[in-house]
Amino acid sequence: MATTGVGTETGAVIAGSAAADRGGLSNLRSISLPLGLAFLVLAGWQLAVTIGHIAPVILPSPISIVRYIIDRYDILLMHAIPTTLESAVGFILATLLGVALAIIITYSKVAREALYPNLVFFQLIPKIALAPLFIIWLGIGSQSRIAFSVFIAFFPVVIATTAGFMSVDRSMLRLCRALTASEWQIFTSVRFPSALPYIFSGMKIAITLAIIGVIIGEFITAQAGLGYLIIFATARADTEVSMAAIVVLCVCGLLLYGIVALGEWIANKFYAADTE
Amino acid sequence: MPQPTNATAAAGESPLVSVSKVQKTYLTRQAPVHAVASASLDVARGEFVSLLGPSGCGKSTLLMMIAGLEAPTGGLITLAGSEVKKPRRDIGIIFQDATLLPWKSALDNVLFPIRILKLPMESYRQRARDLLAMVGLTDFENKKPSELSGGMRQRVAICRALIHDPEILLMDEPFSALDAITRDQMNVALSEILETYKKTVIFVTHSIREAAFLSDRVVVMGGRPSTIVLDMKMPFPRPRRFEIEETAEFTSVCRKLRLTIEEAHGHPPAASNASSASRGGGVIE
Ligand SMILES: Nc1ncnc2c1ncn2[C@@H]1O[C@H](COP(=O)(O)OP(=O)(O)OP(=O)(O)O)[C@@H](O)[C@H]1O
Ligand SMILES: [Mg+2]
Repeated sequence: MATTGVGTETGAVIAGSAAADRGGLSNLRSISLPLGLAFLVLAGWQLAVTIGHIAPVILPSPISIVRYIIDRYDILLMHAIPTTLESAVGFILATLLGVALAIIITYSKVAREALYPNLVFFQLIPKIALAPLFIIWLGIGSQSRIAFSVFIAFFPVVIATTAGFMSVDRSMLRLCRALTASEWQIFTSVRFPSALPYIFSGMKIAITLAIIGVIIGEFITAQAGLGYLIIFATARADTEVSMAAIVVLCVCGLLLYGIVALGEWIANKFYAADTE
Repeated sequence: MPQPTNATAAAGESPLVSVSKVQKTYLTRQAPVHAVASASLDVARGEFVSLLGPSGCGKSTLLMMIAGLEAPTGGLITLAGSEVKKPRRDIGIIFQDATLLPWKSALDNVLFPIRILKLPMESYRQRARDLLAMVGLTDFENKKPSELSGGMRQRVAICRALIHDPEILLMDEPFSALDAITRDQMNVALSEILETYKKTVIFVTHSIREAAFLSDRVVVMGGRPSTIVLDMKMPFPRPRRFEIEETAEFTSVCRKLRLTIEEAHGHPPAASNASSASRGGGVIE
């Protein structure tokens, strides 16, 4: 926490509102710039396909992909649901596992010394290579895809959450102990809320990894799901379907990410409010 | 305001805080660190005692032992007659950094001890507002720490230390991170607060002027391993105003303290930055 700050009380307020103004302006830019760029790329793509007479098998145009999505939304939805649900379940389990491991690492020195180096070493394994083994161990049902998704998604949650729990100021802990706070009180009113920004940044990485895990599982074996649809359509040179599935996958990913971001917003509101 | 009494001479009344022959050795991976060799100190109820001394002489360690956060390796610390073995609820602590919860408003930060101590929140809310008003933060009670200046944050920390009405305030360099002007304001604010909410205070500082201005007694620690080398009454009347700093008596008291610290530090007095110690905040380091 910076202690220099603005010397006078009014100064602090003015500086605060000035920052808010700048925030409003840069907000507008931060929305319009990326949207504009994306639009330019799409327009260029459409133009290249139309003028260059590129075969739809190689590269379908954005408009034809959108048309397919609108026409066959029922099929796409049918495949999107299992992928999204499995990703969500994998993500939730990865978060619970990650936070639980972080708590153990934070509170037990033995566990910390035993676990942490192994976790880091674990991280060096190209984990995607292990996907087929999960099918052997857990069968071809959704459990193997969920397990694999947990397997590749939990690590960032452990690392970020542990860092968050450890980031608590030493003086703050002393203050709590001096007030005869129990470890549980310290955890619920200081450690956990201090770690929230860390936990959510870990969760945002985990949600994308969880989706990757499910898609890879579906590539290997599945009867439904967007990963399955992509493989199936590509095998039949149905590039348009494949691309449409990828677009829907992006939308599902955005949706899940948005839910996590919303969760963060709610958590911040909850802790900022007087809980008593 | 009860006349400040030198605890050892207090007529009949036993001291509130009694530190006798306390010793602290930290066991580290390398050689053990002798933080405090032997410290004896009595503090009477309502007294304001400052601890001065060179960096690393064990002031914070002594304070933490009185708070029950560190166990002495020798000697005895008693609080109102009973031995300090673990933290007690009737102590308020203030550190160099305000250490506020960044996601809570100033008011909720002040009420933090009430939550930890499971006291009825509603009955303390008004007291929290009164305390914030006392330090001039009425309009800021809903602001987050990041929206407050350093001095304002430290005032919130003082209110937080007072909210559960502890007997004793332990302050470890509470104003060291502040600029000189803010620091002077904080000194006046603190002495005003203590005129309203009478407390027993043990105050660690590096500033000789600050110690002399605020205290009933100044205790100088020094030597390696450290002991208490001077225990001096401050002869200035209360309530204290800045004018006392202009007096010859104040200057001579400060000089005496400075010479003692320099001796304890092992420096010949002439070789030190005497001019800065006597006037510009009196920071030793
Ligand atoms: N937890 C600890 N483990 C080991 N050694 C410690 C610990 N805390 C303090 N020490 C050592 O004890 C000695 C006294 O430290 P302390 O923090 O009490 O000094 P201080 O007088 O408060 O110094 P400063 O004015 O710089 O704050 C120092 O040599 C320090 O290195
Ligand atoms: Mg210290």
